[in-house]
Amino acid sequence: MSTQLKRKEELEGEVMAGSVAERVITVAVAGNPNSGKSTLINAIAGTRLHVGNWAGVTVEKKEALFDFGGRKIRLVDLPGTYSLSPYSQEEIVARDYLVHQRPDLIVNVVDATNLERNLYLTVQIMELGIPVVMALNIYDEAQAKGYRIDDKGIEQMLGIAVVPTSATKRSGLDELLETVLRVADAPNQRVPKKLNYGEDIEVAAEYLAKSFRTSHPALLERYPQRWLLLKLMEQDSRVMDELNLQNLDFLDPALHHLRRAHGEDIESIMADARYSLASGLTREVLHKPELRQTELTEKIDKIVLNRFLGIPIFMAAMWLLFKFTFDLSAPFGAWLGAMTEGPFKRWASALLTPLGAPDWTVSLVNDGVIAGVGSVIVFVPVIFAMMFFITFLEGSGYMARAAFVMDRTMHAIGLHGKSFIPMLLGFGCNVPGIYATRTLENPKDKVLTALLVPLMSCGARLPVYVVFVSAFFPNNSSTVIWSLYVMGILLAVLMGLIFKKTLFRGEAPMFIMELPPYRMPSMHSLCVHTWEKGKHFLYKAGTYIFAVSVLVWFLLNLPWGVEHKRDSYLGQAGAVVAPVFQPIGFGTWEAASSLISGVIAKEIVVGTMGEIYAPKKDEKKEVPTLQEDLKEIGVSFGAACSKAVKTLLYLPVPEEKEEDRSSLKLALQGVFTPLSSYAFMVFVLLYMPCVVAIAAMRQEFGTWKWAVVGLGYQTALAWCAALIVYQGGRLLGLGG
Amino acid sequence: MGIADVIIAALLVGGACYILYATLWKKKGCCGCEGGSCCKK
Repeated sequence: MSTQLKRKEELEGEVMAGSVAERVITVAVAGNPNSGKSTLINAIAGTRLHVGNWAGVTVEKKEALFDFGGRKIRLVDLPGTYSLSPYSQEEIVARDYLVHQRPDLIVNVVDATNLERNLYLTVQIMELGIPVVMALNIYDEAQAKGYRIDDKGIEQMLGIAVVPTSATKRSGLDELLETVLRVADAPNQRVPKKLNYGEDIEVAAEYLAKSFRTSHPALLERYPQRWLLLKLMEQDSRVMDELNLQNLDFLDPALHHLRRAHGEDIESIMADARYSLASGLTREVLHKPELRQTELTEKIDKIVLNRFLGIPIFMAAMWLLFKFTFDLSAPFGAWLGAMTEGPFKRWASALLTPLGAPDWTVSLVNDGVIAGVGSVIVFVPVIFAMMFFITFLEGSGYMARAAFVMDRTMHAIGLHGKSFIPMLLGFGCNVPGIYATRTLENPKDKVLTALLVPLMSCGARLPVYVVFVSAFFPNNSSTVIWSLYVMGILLAVLMGLIFKKTLFRGEAPMFIMELPPYRMPSMHSLCVHTWEKGKHFLYKAGTYIFAVSVLVWFLLNLPWGVEHKRDSYLGQAGAVVAPVFQPIGFGTWEAASSLISGVIAKEIVVGTMGEIYAPKKDEKKEVPTLQEDLKEIGVSFGAACSKAVKTLLYLPVPEEKEEDRSSLKLALQGVFTPLSSYAFMVFVLLYMPCVVAIAAMRQEFGTWKWAVVGLGYQTALAWCAALIVYQGGRLLGLGG
Repeated sequence: MGIADVIIAALLVGGACYILYATLWKKKGCCGCEGGSCCKK
């Protein structure tokens, strides 16, 4: 992308103060959800904005600054919206930016496979009077469907530049940027045409304009005139409040004729006018093949969205997700576990001892940092594998269907399917799930959804599940973990029902949710977004899990010289709390201490257990040399790869040897039973959200009230659910 | 445990507390969002 665009003579006369080349051209990128806006910005600027294949992922505007043709361009990615009416947070963010910040031009990303609906937004954008360049995106798919789009016709009719693009294939991007520079340098030559909204509206607008020029001339300087007049006609409460225009005596006469001719609802009249323009324009410029075969998307949707099969298919998809996740990652987790317990500790000792480090610091590094952080690092392959498969489901378009099939269930609890999207995000991490509630229009929906999001089992809980299922349910690991995820969803439905009958009474609003066509996500995109989703686990391991591991080591070794960990400060604190957990099957100080430290982040439950159950150093055991260690690392990695492939292909895998089992697993087998371990996992699934999630709720709703409600109800629910599991299991004779 | 050990231990505990303060309180933790936009809110 290095095309030099501007001719010298074009630049002459435009250079006023400073150099034109130094001016940063601000370009707002606006478009419908799922029109490929974020993908387009990624492809142009190389930034890694979230690209999800469902509506409403980009909540806030994001920016990318880059050079093209020797010029600086700032792209501002606005939230995907269907219109610029102020009904949802995205629409308000997008509209406020365009009206108040006045970018140099707007790139309107239009999904070429869905022209009519996208043009509705285009028509609204044109009202702002800002130069517009239309990126006719997903053009390749439109062509593949046999659509012929007359882009020159659009240019002529709307007076804006149109460039066909395909962001995923990176085609048309240079042309788009060249056009952006051309339009930015000569904005007066590319003013969008004033579209005719019909005689009634235009006459009213003209009358209003005359009166307004006399009464509020300053406002017409500050705001786009046509947009402002249309908003006044629509009686847009946000604009009228903001500009203090509630009592305009000339407004009623202007609208009188419109009301008489079309009825009271002026907003609908305006929407009809815009839809008519979008529809008429589509008829003019889009030529579809006469006989369109039933597309693959429709065929799949007939099955996937079936009212009876939809939810079972969703559950089956989740089960497969866990199956693939564990089949692929478990051998690598075991390999990392062997590394942390063996060579890493030996190398740390070999490095520290010759430096004259005191014995306790060697113990701190081995039994604190390596045991604590290592216990979490072991699960990085599992977390990344799961994020990869979740990203695949998102990118393929299936997750949007999952929200759709959950719509009816969500209605039962007074929410709609759109609320399920934050919950689905919560499977990765609850925190972005809580922030994603701002895509919901109704404040009650936002709070209720945010209270339910932490019941979705996030990736941080996965290490706890994996360590317990590998110790107690090695042959049914994916099924047991799947049952926990399903339990989270079912309890969210139950709690939603209770909240809706008590704290959040009201009807569930209707919603329109886009179902994007199924697409095969590119491997590059999958890898980028898997990394984006998974990297914060590494960040956490390197920061607060590391810090907590150090503190837990001290708490386990203070008072100084304590003989038994039970008598340490942490042990004593755990022993105080432990009786609370007695009825639910794990009333030990070890379990209680782990749950206390796990409040900071759920993975720390495993990290703390790793430290508590860290094995005593075996002096008699022969210490391998560095070369032997390195050889063993290579050989065991090869064995892990082989085992992963064999498991995925259902080939026979040799049984795990007793000495290969991790010390933590063996220790847990001595303390828990299968039933109490399941109750423990249920408790970890449900008990209070981590501190970052609590902070997110406080930040999102501006009060501690809902964070405290979430904390309280979840901990009570966790205890009750674990009690039912444990005592119910005992009654059924499933062990003690 | 000598005075040197106490000083080292105090430094380590102080460092760990500072990391917790810096990541959980000052930086409000890692939100896990993909663009990092929620952290900047």
